[in-house]
Amino acid sequence: MFNAPRTDTMRLTVLGLNHNTAPIEIREKMFIQESDIPELFKKIKESGIDESVIISTCNRTEICFRSVLHHEESLKKIKEIFLQVFQAQPEWFQNFMYVFHNEDAYRHLFLVASGLDSLVIGEPEILGQIKDAYRIAAFNNATGFLLNKIFHKTFNVAKRIRTETKIGYNPLSISSMAIELAKKIFGELSEKKILVIGAGEMCRTALKYFQKEGLQDVLIINRTYQKACQLAEDITGTAYPFQDLSELLVKVDMVLTSTGSEKPLIDKTFIYAIMKKRKNRPLFFIDIAVPRDIVPEVNDIENVYLYDIDDLKELARQHFSDRMKESEKAHTIIEKEVDKFTKTLKQLNMAPLITHMISSAEETRSKELKKMLQKLKNVDDDTVNSIDALTKTITHKLLHSHITLIKENGDGAIGEVLKKFFQLEEEDEEEMDTRDKG
Amino acid sequence: MNVYLLYIALTFYLASTSFYLSILITNTSKVEKPALYFLLLGFSVHLISLIVRYLEAGYTPITNIHESLSFLAFSIAGFFLCLKRAYKVRAMGSVILPLVSILLLWALAFPAEIKPLPPVLKSWWLPIHAIFAFFGNAMFFIAFFISLLYLIIEKEIKKKRKLTLSERFPSLETLDRINYKCISYGFLFLTVGIITGSIWAGFVWRSYWNWNSKETWSFITWIVYVILIHNRLAIGWRGRKTAYMMILGFLFILFTFLGVNFLTNGLHSYV
Repeated sequence: MFNAPRTDTMRLTVLGLNHNTAPIEIREKMFIQESDIPELFKKIKESGIDESVIISTCNRTEICFRSVLHHEESLKKIKEIFLQVFQAQPEWFQNFMYVFHNEDAYRHLFLVASGLDSLVIGEPEILGQIKDAYRIAAFNNATGFLLNKIFHKTFNVAKRIRTETKIGYNPLSISSMAIELAKKIFGELSEKKILVIGAGEMCRTALKYFQKEGLQDVLIINRTYQKACQLAEDITGTAYPFQDLSELLVKVDMVLTSTGSEKPLIDKTFIYAIMKKRKNRPLFFIDIAVPRDIVPEVNDIENVYLYDIDDLKELARQHFSDRMKESEKAHTIIEKEVDKFTKTLKQLNMAPLITHMISSAEETRSKELKKMLQKLKNVDDDTVNSIDALTKTITHKLLHSHITLIKENGDGAIGEVLKKFFQLEEEDEEEMDTRDKG
Repeated sequence: MNVYLLYIALTFYLASTSFYLSILITNTSKVEKPALYFLLLGFSVHLISLIVRYLEAGYTPITNIHESLSFLAFSIAGFFLCLKRAYKVRAMGSVILPLVSILLLWALAFPAEIKPLPPVLKSWWLPIHAIFAFFGNAMFFIAFFISLLYLIIEKEIKKKRKLTLSERFPSLETLDRINYKCISYGFLFLTVGIITGSIWAGFVWRSYWNWNSKETWSFITWIVYVILIHNRLAIGWRGRKTAYMMILGFLFILFTFLGVNFLTNGLHSYV
């Protein structure tokens, strides 16, 4: 007969920590290298956990799992593995980690994948990281029916939030804001030229973003020519000597400056002359140096646009408050999706019962029909067909109300009663389960 | 019959306008397709209406204020469709479509009955001269609104405000490029319009140039655009300066097209 832990087959648990709950020292210790993951999956499987996905980024480490064991028991097993693999301390679970079950776990996954649980709210990278985590788990045969379903739903919800809200719409990082502005001025960037003054780390990072946009012409100058050459080599650009500055300014469309110069390198009269030579073609300056490399009045010249680090930070602040507003919309969507998904899963939980009800009814019907037909003699085919159709209709009609009841009420007490009523055996359920997994 | 068709065209234009405005307000491109389809429908019905009117009247229907406003709206809609093919114009329809609708609505406010053509206009020069002149006007109408847009967006970027409008419209460089295209074609059409008008005048008034108010103002307008194009090519006026100049040029166009007719009398008093 039906036995208790079976209700746990659809139970999802998430155990994890993130930048809000744990300091960097702990996060570092709990970080899982991709190469270690297969081994970990093996251990988890051996401990009796049926399905699991491991997410590990610099800001979070989480494990999502499902087991036929009672959830307390399975959680204990996972914790044991954590203690063993990460040399974690038992009090860490209390102090730095969170546990979510079912609805709360779905909600958590949806929030994480949509970037709402990220350090930079709405950032898009996390979705890719979760997709990777899921891919690795699937590759190691660690996922099954439930986790496949949940993760696909999660990707779905994250995509919905991307398209229906503007959560990731306005960029927050200095580099992506600079690109956004450049696009407002020039449109397509791939044909444009950028001049970089300074060869520091800031320039390197920002340039990578620009190159991602398809920008090919990167010109680099620096007080120390060797450094310019070095950067040019690293990122496939061209280095020029510093004295070429004014000549280069006539050629390029964008200028990124980040030198350690104490005094501004570029003033208004200089750019005024340059703009004449350029026949006023627009020129966009991004000055991320502190102290600034370009005097702010350069922005007053027609067709010249100058943004310094403070301007970009101020924009970032406004964009951030926009994202906060959008995140409210995202939360509403997630609540709806959690509700819907919970209902779907409950119905799925009842699927074996429904199939059982239909098949046992059908079995009884055909058996009785056969007996009846043996008793009756001299019946023509038409009558046989009519009786067949009639009995079918009767069984369907009788079952219909029960099935609707189950679908609407999920796996509550009614489900339990009906299971007993229709004598659903455990084996039947197991059979259904394996079929689902397949 | 042709007027009923105009009302149908107007309805389609208005539908398209509302879709374009919703693109502007919500900043999504979901309804871009219906906006375009309604515009295409409106444009087609408008074209049919012009053909029907041509057949009913027996002459090219650009001879009074109703007809010319309607033809202007038609040309603007047509050129906007061309622009849409060539550039990523995004929410620009939210500026152009209201203009088209308003012009057509305005055209319908004037008496629309077909009258016999004044003998002086009975000529093959009518379609040639009028079509070129109005194509020119249409281009300058579009350029005017693009210039306004340019100035607003440029200010947004220059003043370092949060980019709200600029993300709905093409980049500054694209706007400037479209603007220049409009000016170039507009100038070409205007020039051909003036020359053909002058030749026609030579036939009917026995003098190529009479310095009537229409001619004088067309000439002034033409000079404004000559200066604009010269400055752009020779001393690299672009962006904001071009935009301001375009707005000035447009005021002259407006006066030449409408002001002269409403405020003065004399030769060329049809449109």
